[in-house]
Amino acid sequence: MIAGDTVRSRRRRALLLLLAPITLMLGVFFLIPLGIMVVYSFLEPGLYGGVEWNWYPYNYGRILGWPLNDYEEFDPIYLSIFLGSLKVACLTVLFSLLICYPAAFWVSRMSERRKTFVLFLIMLPFFANLLVRIYAWLLLLRPTGFINTLLQSAGLIAQPLDMLFSNFAVIVGMVYIFTPFMFLPIYANVEKLDYSLIRASQDLGATPLQTFLRVILPLTAPGIAGGSVIVFIPALGNFIVPAFLGGSKVQMTGNLIERSFLQSRDWPFGAALALLIMASVVLVLMIQFTRTARAQARGAV
Amino acid sequence: MFRGFRPGKLWSALFNSYGFLFLAFLYMPLALIVVYSFNANPINMAVWTGFTLDWYATIFGGAGVEGTFDVAFTESPERIFEVVKNSFLVATTAASISTLIGTATAVALARYRFAGKRFYQALLLLPMLVPDIVLGIALLIFFVGAGFHLSLLTIVIGHVTFLSSYVFVVVSSRLAGMDTTLEQASADLGAGALTTFRRVTLPLIMPGVLGGFLLAFIISLDDVVITYFIAGVGSQTLPLLILAMMRRGLRPQITALAVVIILFSFAVATVGMLLRNRKS
Repeated sequence: MIAGDTVRSRRRRALLLLLAPITLMLGVFFLIPLGIMVVYSFLEPGLYGGVEWNWYPYNYGRILGWPLNDYEEFDPIYLSIFLGSLKVACLTVLFSLLICYPAAFWVSRMSERRKTFVLFLIMLPFFANLLVRIYAWLLLLRPTGFINTLLQSAGLIAQPLDMLFSNFAVIVGMVYIFTPFMFLPIYANVEKLDYSLIRASQDLGATPLQTFLRVILPLTAPGIAGGSVIVFIPALGNFIVPAFLGGSKVQMTGNLIERSFLQSRDWPFGAALALLIMASVVLVLMIQFTRTARAQARGAV
Repeated sequence: MFRGFRPGKLWSALFNSYGFLFLAFLYMPLALIVVYSFNANPINMAVWTGFTLDWYATIFGGAGVEGTFDVAFTESPERIFEVVKNSFLVATTAASISTLIGTATAVALARYRFAGKRFYQALLLLPMLVPDIVLGIALLIFFVGAGFHLSLLTIVIGHVTFLSSYVFVVVSSRLAGMDTTLEQASADLGAGALTTFRRVTLPLIMPGVLGGFLLAFIISLDDVVITYFIAGVGSQTLPLLILAMMRRGLRPQITALAVVIILFSFAVATVGMLLRNRKS
């Protein structure tokens, strides 16, 4: 009896010891900073940077349409930049999905040895530095870049194509960077596909298109959803890709946030923009969680 | 069409050529950098004017540096060495601390039953899900507000907050796939919890721990966005130097530097993945 209590209390102490570092770390350097950021987004920006500790909902007002009269101005540009970022993030998701989906089936058909090797090849570029991968696309897309030089020397075009500094360039760059993120969840799903269902569909006389739309697509929906969420989140807040591949022509919310922190020094405004991104992220995650929870409940029945 | 269908020759050929294009899409841009890094043309990298190693010489130090076409845009080998040193210092420290924290957390969540376990599981996912820029500015506000001097230390702290989660995930999957009977046997034979951990659990999860460390190391070494916000004036890392160089313009020196970085990252990633795939 007494010995049992000692063992239990010793295990409790061990558990506390194991959990203390992560609790301290994430509490102090993650949750508290995020909390302060929320508070900042409701504070008045100081005249020379910094904040005044006054309730000030007009940071959001400047973005969403209730500015403080005579002082701040509602500029629809912020909202349109935010909507533009949503568009770019959604298109990035769509195109990386189109690229990765067939590739997942390609890999799933391989022998185990080859599969391991090709999976490794697909993951590897993720470890090349983000900037290096963007740099590669700068070299490819710019007016004196690889693609234009190739097309010009082949005599296909007279003037270099204007590919850089456009939504196209930003989306291409992001699709390139996030390909492994999209590929893995879809692949994990495709790998587990129950082929007897597909064969049944064919035996029952379904056309290949019907089999795809009504059997394969629904069965791979969880992988598609997972990959989409994992790509959407970093794409929405990205500021490095648009900074280089979008130039001054394509502004995303991330660029606005960066500028309000490091140039105009309007921290509360930047924090409000960051919270707008966080709100979108939380919304997407909540949809995803209720989706998977519902799917699991269905599976249990 | 797929495995189990004995796909027709046409479908097989289509899938294989698509797969080839997919890999080409992933590797062509990187291959282009490698080729360009040996091009002697100092103005337009897309036009080949001859083979040279000069651009590598501007990184490692050596002949031909002073005669470089645009000296003003070239970083000195000393400067590059300094930021590389900073990067390695940060990555080693941050990866070591995150490995300790992440492993401890993984063991706690895998081997103990307690209230609030689900809370911890969710909390540990958050740092990987919060967009980089949001974490970056939140840490900047916090550090400035709390009176921290922005330095290599603040970068290390910032990195540890999200790297712990990555190590946690890697070590957890190792612990989940592990046979617990050995641990039970050790306990039944009278070994204390600490002894069991040191002599049984730790050796078994070691590949996962090392794999987690390498993953954390490479992510820390590569991190741009979070570091960008919490680096001080005197605490530039290699990605930040490259960022500054790219803002001034595309120069052959960046291309050569990019190749060195790609090779190093790929080497570390390869070792990491081999470790993680190794069956015990």
